[in-house]
Amino acid sequence: MRDVPRATAGDPTDSDLMRRTAAGDRDAFTALYKRHHAMVYRFARLMTGSNSAAEDIVQEVFLVVMRDAGRYDPARAALASYLYGVARHQTRRRLARDRQFVAFDEECADATAHVTEDDVNATLERRQALLRLRRAILSLPRRYREVIVVCDLQDVTYNDAAVALGCAVGTIRSRLHRARNLLTQKMGCATSSEEGHRRLNMRCAV
Amino acid sequence: MTPTRHENCRLAEALEKLRRDEARLETPPHIEAAVLAAWDRAHAETTGPRRVWRNLAAAAAAVTIAIGLTQLGRQLERLTRPAVQQAANSRTLLLVGEPILQGEPVRMVRMRVPASTLTSLGVRPMAGTPGEHIDVDVIVGEDGVARAIRVGR
Repeated sequence: MRDVPRATAGDPTDSDLMRRTAAGDRDAFTALYKRHHAMVYRFARLMTGSNSAAEDIVQEVFLVVMRDAGRYDPARAALASYLYGVARHQTRRRLARDRQFVAFDEECADATAHVTEDDVNATLERRQALLRLRRAILSLPRRYREVIVVCDLQDVTYNDAAVALGCAVGTIRSRLHRARNLLTQKMGCATSSEEGHRRLNMRCAV
Repeated sequence: MTPTRHENCRLAEALEKLRRDEARLETPPHIEAAVLAAWDRAHAETTGPRRVWRNLAAAAAAVTIAIGLTQLGRQLERLTRPAVQQAANSRTLLLVGEPILQGEPVRMVRMRVPASTLTSLGVRPMAGTPGEHIDVDVIVGEDGVARAIRVGR
């Protein structure tokens, strides 16, 4: 899990922080938030395609941590896996509530890109490619989208992903294989569709 | 349709670019503020020095009110309880005239009087109807004036 800031030798472990959070230690809760918020936010953003939905989900996840910290058992799962599980549940609720995928925010496409004149073409092309990929991921069925987001985009190990998603490691592998195939097909369709669209535009322009 | 090796490589490359792009993202700062505000709200209601002081003050006020109500109740009860009942229950003397002086010789006369007589003396009969007769002990001084009446149970 590359995205989660690792605790250094002097830092308290996640388990310690959760125990102190359960005892009402605000500093421990703040430390937990700072250590894991980005991971939850990115997961929720990739799953929903919406910044605002991701922000809501981050809040919901940490409200659950605040309320149920005493019920966390470090022997059952690493905290990151536990948080993925909570985030996944909150994401499902959010998507079920919205009844459809939220339209991908314009700002969500590339919120922090700074384009200079020199590399404007390369940057725009890169942004288009990323946007295509994001849309393709969002169009995957949820169970396939989850494994792509968790395993390929957040570098979670198969074992941790199995704990987080509540299924066997073999299921993770097979879903990931199927998800990548689907994604490749969708990306191919998107590319050929764009090329066709470009040719059509050229014909119109001529 | 199974993707070719080339397609797989292209997908892996695209996913890696997206991963790097996503890694730059951080949760907006106002979310942290909102989460910590929720923490403060939740814990202000269950813990914290202000809450402790508020609980102590409320407990002190409750005790004060309880004591005050108890004392007020006792006073009211004392004021409204019939004198006869007091006498009957405790068989103490009901003073009706001049107090008995220390060493004054007295006589006690047992009498059977109508309950209405006690009513005329300002004492409510403890039981029965006004027409019934009640045994009372009357303490009479040497001058023949009643000093006290003891009403039987």
